[in-house]
Amino acid sequence: MMQRLLPFLSLIVLFVALAIASPHFLTETNLSSVVRQTAVINTMSLGMTVIIIAGGIDLSVGAMLAMSGVLGTMAMESGMPVPAGILIGVLTGLFWGSLNGFLTTRLRIAPFIVTLGTLGIIRGLTLIITGGLPVHRVPQSFAFLGEGNLLGVPFVLWVVVICAVATHVVLEHTRLGRYAFAIGSNPDAAVYAGVPVGFDTTAIYALGGLLTGLAGMIEASRLMTGQPTAGNGYELQAIAAVVIGGGSLHGGEGSVIGTLIGALIMGLLSNGSDLLGISPYLQQAIIGGVIILAVTVDELRKRRSHGDG
Amino acid sequence: MLLDLSGIQKRFGGVTALRDGNLAVEPGEVHLLLGENGAGKSTLMKIVAGMERRDSGRMLWQGRAAAFQTPAEAAAAGIAMVHQESLLAPHLSVAENIFLGREQRLPFGWVNRRRMVEQAARLIEEHHFPLHADWQVGRLSPAAKQLVGICRAIQHGSSLLIFDEPTSSLSGAETEEVFRIVRTLRARGMGVIYITHRLEELRAVGDRVTILRDGATVHNGPLAEVSTDRIIQYMVGREMVSIYQRQPLDPGPELLRVEGLTRRGVLHEVSFALRTGEIVGLAGLIGAGRTEACRAIFGVDPVDAGTIFVEGRAARIRSPREAVAAGIALITEDRQRTGLALRLPLAYNVTLANLGEISHFGVLDRQAQNRVTTDYIARLRIRCSSGRQAAGRLSGGNQQKVVIAKWLFRRARVFLFDEPTRGIDVGAKAEVFAVMDELARSGAAILMVSSEMQELLQVADRILVMRQGRISGELPGRTTQEEIMRYAALEPEAI
Repeated sequence: MMQRLLPFLSLIVLFVALAIASPHFLTETNLSSVVRQTAVINTMSLGMTVIIIAGGIDLSVGAMLAMSGVLGTMAMESGMPVPAGILIGVLTGLFWGSLNGFLTTRLRIAPFIVTLGTLGIIRGLTLIITGGLPVHRVPQSFAFLGEGNLLGVPFVLWVVVICAVATHVVLEHTRLGRYAFAIGSNPDAAVYAGVPVGFDTTAIYALGGLLTGLAGMIEASRLMTGQPTAGNGYELQAIAAVVIGGGSLHGGEGSVIGTLIGALIMGLLSNGSDLLGISPYLQQAIIGGVIILAVTVDELRKRRSHGDG
Repeated sequence: MLLDLSGIQKRFGGVTALRDGNLAVEPGEVHLLLGENGAGKSTLMKIVAGMERRDSGRMLWQGRAAAFQTPAEAAAAGIAMVHQESLLAPHLSVAENIFLGREQRLPFGWVNRRRMVEQAARLIEEHHFPLHADWQVGRLSPAAKQLVGICRAIQHGSSLLIFDEPTSSLSGAETEEVFRIVRTLRARGMGVIYITHRLEELRAVGDRVTILRDGATVHNGPLAEVSTDRIIQYMVGREMVSIYQRQPLDPGPELLRVEGLTRRGVLHEVSFALRTGEIVGLAGLIGAGRTEACRAIFGVDPVDAGTIFVEGRAARIRSPREAVAAGIALITEDRQRTGLALRLPLAYNVTLANLGEISHFGVLDRQAQNRVTTDYIARLRIRCSSGRQAAGRLSGGNQQKVVIAKWLFRRARVFLFDEPTRGIDVGAKAEVFAVMDELARSGAAILMVSSEMQELLQVADRILVMRQGRISGELPGRTTQEEIMRYAALEPEAI
């Protein structure tokens, strides 16, 4: 129980502390800007949660996000309707995610290496496609995805909530999700139990890619630009969100709720630092410290509960 | 007195691992430490070796009060532990492992590699170990790895050596070798603590015995003064039938037929059949190809030739997935590696191989899952707090039952058991046999690989013997160990 409670309590404490420390924190403008700012990492880290639970990792999501945004906005630039452009961005992510999964399962190369490779390939291709220049000419209505409001709250909040609920359902209530836990906890046992490990692993990376593609379109909508250099370092933020939320890089552990809390903690830390005038350089260091602290606390808890005769 | 422990207590969170641990070891004796899994043997030894700290109690080492804070402190004082699967660095050489942490240092942090290799070679030579100082440890057999662990202990000049189930992964000949070494160590005046689950081998090595039950020492004294039945009683704390003997059934129709199974260099023309209601033993020395035969049938390793028939029909099995679909289950000796997702709840493990049955269009029915789990917990008498408990928290015997439950729920009909009782304590062994018997009665066919011939004689209806990748003989269930050994060890002409 404590492992669910501790990140949640930290989040509450952080929230209350910020509300006391800064008069600007509890304003509608600020809170909705937090929601919009964290939506991209939130969406990405949902996919990363499933991948990490299955014992994998995807370092290429930052680059994938950039290519999705670029291809989606280029489609819009060429005259396609906005929803079609968004779909193309999402499918771009799905494609690269599937390829990552296919390569790790077929070539049996560690996902760290495979996705380190595709990180370079995707980033390079994106720069070639755009000639290194951002894609600017996008329809005004595209801004709704990242900046619009629906029923009084930011539209992206709905997107993130729907994605989170869907990912939660997949993880906890479907065969694919159960297999993800099994593969991550003990891949050999999964093979011996007749689990289609290769296919499901590919599907899990594909799901991660799909969510990253969507995140890419959200990012592009917020900037109203397809930025070929977008998403640099986002993969580490996504991994950090999962880990702060109780996910284990050894696989078999993690949850959607935990990840969302992890992403929110990071988002609030950076928002709070802005409000309190803490330098962005120091922000990075603070978040780095929080990652180590969160994992240390989690490890100590696990070690204490493991003792055998 | 070399080591004297009294009233040792140790708790982990809310669990009491040791209530009253007492143990006294003299120099020049082999002291057996017995007890069921969870009785507290490992915890007691970890306290001695500085890997855990006691909560209370007294420990005298060579007459002086001692409390080792780290394994290094215990090692410096002369206590060494040879682990079940020795804690070695697989990528380093034999010599490097022997000196790990105690390298021969030269100035500026350089390591005197040549001296190290020479000393290791001399040590190996002196004891006639079948090792070479340059060999890479990861490639050695389990037996050879243990020898490296023993070398390590001797090299460091230890005066007390703790063996944690040294023979659990060894063949008969290798076991003899370990016994020989233990006797030489004793003759040199070293104290040896020897933890084992194999009651048959007690008399071959032990001088005195200490028995733990539920965290407390319940008996200690000379081994010669206590019968094996009495030892079992101390361990389990109740009267029990010491020799289980299964009543064979009339076998039904043929379920599995293997014809000409061949994998170059490993299996040669292996053919046999299993019928419903049968438990067939598969005996042989380590390396005879028994495990390899199971792996080939289950589709883990590819084969060069051979056909597998399930219920009369030729089955194409190129992966475990296809074997599972054909109704075959493999329960390997290493159930933690291939049988269980240790960190996941028991319920997840039980249902893993048959999620289709508790889901609709890929969506799981959690109620059905919990119903199934509760049902199997009751049927197989799995001791656990609930279906939500992590599988890794169960004892060895109960873990084995979870694996069996998984295959029962998958409705497997052919069960390949590879060393089903390895690492399981006496009480749980009888329960595992009872479950196998029930399986056979409910129409399954069972192949049981075991290195413990006594077990095969108790359980199997007939016994196949393998030697060098071939089936070298088939014997009735009521045969003798000598007969099995002849087929397992001798050239065909010599039988």
